[in-house]
Amino acid sequence: MILAKKDLDQALGILSQDAEVFVPIIELIEDKSGIKEPAFEKKFMPYFEGAAVGLDNFNTVKPPKDVLFPNVEKLYKYKTGENAYIQEILPEDKPKVLFGVRPCDMRSIDSMDKVFFTKEYVDSYYAKRRDLVTIVAIGCLDTQRTCFCDSMGIDPNDAPTADVMMNVTKTSRTKACPVTGCTIPEDDGSYILEARTEKGQALLEKIKALCTEDGSEEACKDTVCKLKIEKDPKLDEKLSTMFEHPIWDKITKGCIGCGTCTFVCPTCYCFDIDNENYGAEGCKYRCWDSCMFSDYTRMAGGANPRPTKKERLRNRYMHKLSYFNERYGETLCVGCGRCIENCPAHLDISEFIEKASKVDADAKEYSEADFAGKEAR
Amino acid sequence: MAYTKEQIQEMIRQEAKKALATGEVSAVVGWTSTRFEDRTKPFFAETESECDLLVWNEYCINGTAKYALDDRYPEKKLAVIARGCDSRAINRLIQDKQVKRENLYIIGVACDGKDNPICKECQHKNPLTFDVLVGEEVEEQINADRFAEVLAFEKLTPDERYDYWAKQYDKCIHCYACRNACPACNCIECYADQYRTGWQGKAADREQNQVYGLTRVYHVGDRCIECGECERVCPMDLPIMRQTRKMLKDINDLFGDYECGLPDDRKPVLGEYKLEDPDEFM
Amino acid sequence: MAIDHDCSCNKNPLLPSLCRVIDVKQETPDVQTYTIQTLDGRKPFSPLPGQLAMVSLLGVGEAMFSITAQGEDYIQSSIKRTGLLTEAFHEMQPGQEIGVRGPYGNHFPIDDLKGKDILFIGGGIGIAPVRSMIRYAFEHRDEFGHLDILYGARSKSDICFKEDVLENWPKEKDTNVYVTTDVPSDDWDGHVGFVPSYIEEVGFKPEGKKVVLCGPPIMIKLSSESLLKMGFQKEDVVTTLELRMKCGIGKCGRCNIGSKFVCLDGPVFTLAELDELPDEK
Repeated sequence: MILAKKDLDQALGILSQDAEVFVPIIELIEDKSGIKEPAFEKKFMPYFEGAAVGLDNFNTVKPPKDVLFPNVEKLYKYKTGENAYIQEILPEDKPKVLFGVRPCDMRSIDSMDKVFFTKEYVDSYYAKRRDLVTIVAIGCLDTQRTCFCDSMGIDPNDAPTADVMMNVTKTSRTKACPVTGCTIPEDDGSYILEARTEKGQALLEKIKALCTEDGSEEACKDTVCKLKIEKDPKLDEKLSTMFEHPIWDKITKGCIGCGTCTFVCPTCYCFDIDNENYGAEGCKYRCWDSCMFSDYTRMAGGANPRPTKKERLRNRYMHKLSYFNERYGETLCVGCGRCIENCPAHLDISEFIEKASKVDADAKEYSEADFAGKEAR
Repeated sequence: MAYTKEQIQEMIRQEAKKALATGEVSAVVGWTSTRFEDRTKPFFAETESECDLLVWNEYCINGTAKYALDDRYPEKKLAVIARGCDSRAINRLIQDKQVKRENLYIIGVACDGKDNPICKECQHKNPLTFDVLVGEEVEEQINADRFAEVLAFEKLTPDERYDYWAKQYDKCIHCYACRNACPACNCIECYADQYRTGWQGKAADREQNQVYGLTRVYHVGDRCIECGECERVCPMDLPIMRQTRKMLKDINDLFGDYECGLPDDRKPVLGEYKLEDPDEFM
Repeated sequence: MAIDHDCSCNKNPLLPSLCRVIDVKQETPDVQTYTIQTLDGRKPFSPLPGQLAMVSLLGVGEAMFSITAQGEDYIQSSIKRTGLLTEAFHEMQPGQEIGVRGPYGNHFPIDDLKGKDILFIGGGIGIAPVRSMIRYAFEHRDEFGHLDILYGARSKSDICFKEDVLENWPKEKDTNVYVTTDVPSDDWDGHVGFVPSYIEEVGFKPEGKKVVLCGPPIMIKLSSESLLKMGFQKEDVVTTLELRMKCGIGKCGRCNIGSKFVCLDGPVFTLAELDELPDEK
């Protein structure tokens, strides 16, 4: 089915009638004092009439994961003392649509599905949210300089597990965005939508009247990532022998130990459970946690198996690139580049992947100077 | 300027090598290149050949001083390449008794202003504390507009200001990058990490984010060296320096000219009590 | 296209059931044992020896504890006072409502242990998980060979489960109990010394024998060295790990060692299995 770009808002409006439609929206944060230029922020938020939808162009800073796995989520409420009780709080029944998910982010949802649905326990909260969500993925027309999903085995043009796949049509004219320089379709362009699941079919059914069928139209699928990295295809196995490798000392030195990389990462799913009390009543909630924080593994007596940033960052990289492969059969880094873009210390996981791919796994010494030929400018 | 960037870069490399050659220094913290031309990253040069990877250009933005806290009881000195702001950060750490001067070897270098908005307001391009100076000092600019942003913001109504910050704190993701990058945030254990005490909730909602924001600004308000790292590192682009500058402006109004991280060893004003302290608010 | 799963989701693994502490017993100056029942007087669940329970003091916090014993209509956990949360646990009085979820984790390899002689080694509060297996062995006495129990505590007053360790267990048939304290005291006429050296002193024979070893990390480390020196095989020594846990179901991330999660794949591991994991214990 073909949807003209000009009809996109109308389609989102129709879908919003019986679902909460999360779509990348560009928000202007204005400073009334007039001191600073208004700031642009792009994030997945519920569609509203007149929203500045930003399907193409750059990806959102925050991944769409919080629609399925909110930053803060209530688990149950309770009362202590007389008439004590524990009462489950499940997510509300409202159906949701995640519209405009990039292929890297779709892959990250596949990984979260593995975590929350398999290995003996199904997480009731995630499961309920997941079942109620229909996902419309969009192929990337352009990539950012930190995008390397195709080096991680993901096609930036296609998200096989999405309910609906959406691409810009080949005949759409494109232009460069005056603000970001990204290639985006002209306003008279159109999208081609393909349902991949029953949920997807049901979704397309609702906006059928806005769409046309044109068998001659094809999806534009020739996007490649700007960042190409050389990754050892068996890096996961190699890393499992490199726990004591001197590379960890070196590459973790610049880390400042904040949680930015984990919170902008679409696949980081670790959480903490804590409570909030109001007198005798209270509620238990879970919230995102970061393996980069010192209290993440610190035990009651004060002992900590990961006392410094070296152990913490090593665990993070190993989890992404080796442990997850061993447990779930796939790499947990999808190459979205968010951590590279946002790291305060400019650490770069793609650089680590390349270096770890090249080093001798048994080396006793490691020097950045060995990579100087490629690095120094 | 008498020296080109390339010349200064070469001199930095030579000083770094000399420092390592003394055997008293474990590593030299500076900057090296990344795969992006407009970006460098903090780098620990530990061997002579690694010293040749150190770079000096307009993208050497990250603060270097805070890395001195990674090992509070080092066997050898840590050499730090310090611009004006880094040297103020080092003074901050020394004055807060978090590092010992004798554990540092400071390679000072006058800053030419980096590709970072806050550098335009900088009043201390020259390092204030160093063991060796690379190149020569530059002329300082006196920034009369240091508090221009705060002055403009103060003109808004309280409701407008509240709405503005509430919206900002809705964006906060609780990553603590602002804390971890800040040389004034140097507690061995942050109150926010002692979350079993209940002081700081872990949920990243408006309420808890605001608690954090207010606590942070009061903790660092009278010790801020105005490097702007907090604002630069924020992945959600919160204008954090605006809060700290407001504190500094109020302190300046109440206690007279006040700048932190200078070698004069003036105690943080909110950390000491004098009989003649202003008390109009009481 | 999410993974197919049983969508009835009728059991929420993160939801505790409301239970009651029906008895509090002071074992040592800093260890208490709680007997726990559902509000209608039933057993919350039937754990296998070595499994864990997530116990929640509503409004304060929750933490994972090993289940040291169970009966027809109760389970028991012993908790040592080490931090803010456990301090709050120690304020509990009988009748107090708590939340309990579980059982979590694997269990001692009962099938492997059957038919063998077993050497149980416990140090301090580390006897708590071992006790669940010891009790299982006594309840199924004919299925196991000779039993040795070696227990070490700081001093006599720090001996956990005093009636079991000093009175009940030594009376069981074909069972030897060895007790040692780190420091001597006037009211203690038993052995004085650390567990690892006591193991060597007694000189257990490795043939046909399996070992269940729990205690503080340093004791496990040194005792393992003693056992290996004496000819025990790594496959024949099982121990338990303790890391910080939150969810108990292998999802929240923090208790991993390599690709394994202590709450789900553990807490019981053989020394041979631990050798395969990264050194982060």
